[in-house]
Amino acid sequence: MADGQAVAKMNEVAPGTTRRVVVDGVEVLLCNVEGRIYAVEDVCTHDGAPLDQGELDGKCIVCPRHGATFDVTTGAALTLPAVLPVTTYPVRIEDDGIYVDL
Amino acid sequence: MATELKTPGADLSEDYRHGFHDSEESYVFKSAKGLNREIVERISSMKSEPEWMLAFRLKALELFRAKPMPAWGDLAALSEIDFDDIHYFVKSTEGTEKSWDDVPDDIKRTFDRLGIPEAERKFLSGVSAQYESEVVYHSIREDLEKDGVLFCDMDTALREHPEIVKKYFATIIPPGDNKFAALNSAVWSGGSFVYVPPGVEVKTPLQAYFRINTENMGQFERTLIIADKGSKVHYIEGCTAPQFSTSSLHSAVVELIAMEGASIRYTTIQNWYRNIFNLVTKRAVAYKNATVEWVDGNIGSRLTMKYPAIYLMGEGARGEILSAAFSGEGQHQDAGAKVIHAAPNTTSVVTNKSVSAHGGKTTYRGLVEIYPGAIGAKTRVKCDALIMDEKSASDTKPTMKIHEQQSTVEHEASVSKIGEEQMFYAMSRGLSEADATAMIVNGFFDFFVKELPMEYAVELNRLIKMEMEGAVG
Repeated sequence: MADGQAVAKMNEVAPGTTRRVVVDGVEVLLCNVEGRIYAVEDVCTHDGAPLDQGELDGKCIVCPRHGATFDVTTGAALTLPAVLPVTTYPVRIEDDGIYVDL
Repeated sequence: MATELKTPGADLSEDYRHGFHDSEESYVFKSAKGLNREIVERISSMKSEPEWMLAFRLKALELFRAKPMPAWGDLAALSEIDFDDIHYFVKSTEGTEKSWDDVPDDIKRTFDRLGIPEAERKFLSGVSAQYESEVVYHSIREDLEKDGVLFCDMDTALREHPEIVKKYFATIIPPGDNKFAALNSAVWSGGSFVYVPPGVEVKTPLQAYFRINTENMGQFERTLIIADKGSKVHYIEGCTAPQFSTSSLHSAVVELIAMEGASIRYTTIQNWYRNIFNLVTKRAVAYKNATVEWVDGNIGSRLTMKYPAIYLMGEGARGEILSAAFSGEGQHQDAGAKVIHAAPNTTSVVTNKSVSAHGGKTTYRGLVEIYPGAIGAKTRVKCDALIMDEKSASDTKPTMKIHEQQSTVEHEASVSKIGEEQMFYAMSRGLSEADATAMIVNGFFDFFVKELPMEYAVELNRLIKMEMEGAVG
């Protein structure tokens, strides 16, 4: 994706919010933590369902079904019932466009 | 013991000896029925809690409202719960007493009848007695205090050890885990807090006793036990409630943390009256070479939904869940166990035994999951159900999710009825039908009873015998 298409624009992901995008068939959740964008796979490692309806609280995304919490900056699982980290992806910002490298 | 047996078919409610009800006249506070933001704020301010706990409660209240009721399990029984018909906070006294003599007389009588002070004198390291929403009596042996063992109610822990509570509280069971965990997180009160420092072994058990006395009350205690590296502790809890014509709700959250090489055993004997909804979330983590054991006995209640869980997070961690359930008329014991193997060379054993009689129903609902990379994980699950008559029923719903090929999984299940041959043999030795039935059922539960301290084993055998009396004839 080095020179690919932007998956979203910065103004589409306000600070403290998330946006779900599909990058090469992979569901990715863009998270704006105080102006900086992080990308994680949109899958809760506990039950395999999406995280995108969950609340972003600081750098933590909380799964809407069972409350598992992940640090979106590192992918680490912070509370049970999730044990495994969520996959994270490098993000580039160019000319207001958000690019995710799978 | 045959002289203790009553006529077969006797009304069991007469035999529920914890069914007495005390006066509520002297209570300090009792919230109106129903749940709203003001009640949650009131609970928090009456306890003088820090801001972060109030914020936690209010967020949990939102989650409770947003979350649907479970879409599985005994839906008919669950639909009987009316959340607007419950008192969420009932405070019987001003504070927690350290001397038994200072506990108000009426409450003291209750616990005297339940045998608590006697049990403390005999064999316990510490005792906590919760009446309605708060702990009314608490004591811990001096030598344990000197070793740095912390054992107090959760309200006190939040005041006196906020740094430990904040670090671990709700990290094992987040409020969003399920609707009842969210409810507990919003209105929790009381429960036990235990911290055992590294290398300290608490040789005799710590005990807590939970008593509901108010009709239509919800009891929402919150327990957090942390065993630091290489330490060891055994915690026991018992629960009862009076006989009421309308139901009450008991919805606890219990979190256990066993650090490297530590060991926690958590024993529960629940003997609720038959219209209590007992919906409890219990979960433990065991790190490297740690051991967690849940010993869980369920008697009584209208509906119990309880699946003690162990997350084996470090190499060599070990988990064991032993549970026994008895379900009588109009009751459903939906109980089970969950074990997650998330590290190599972890081992677990799940043993579940249930008896259903007089039209009661038991369900075993269990999950064993072995994560990728948990090489050498071993698990053995055994569940046996005994059905006493044509009206009673039992279901077994085990789930196994195995993502690691280099692991060993054993599962064994059986459903049986009391054998005519067994009965014939026992009765030909001179036992009455009732005695023979009780003996066979006690034998069926023997694996469980022998894991209990003597006083509890005797009490459980007595309860089972009492429950069985109506099962004959």
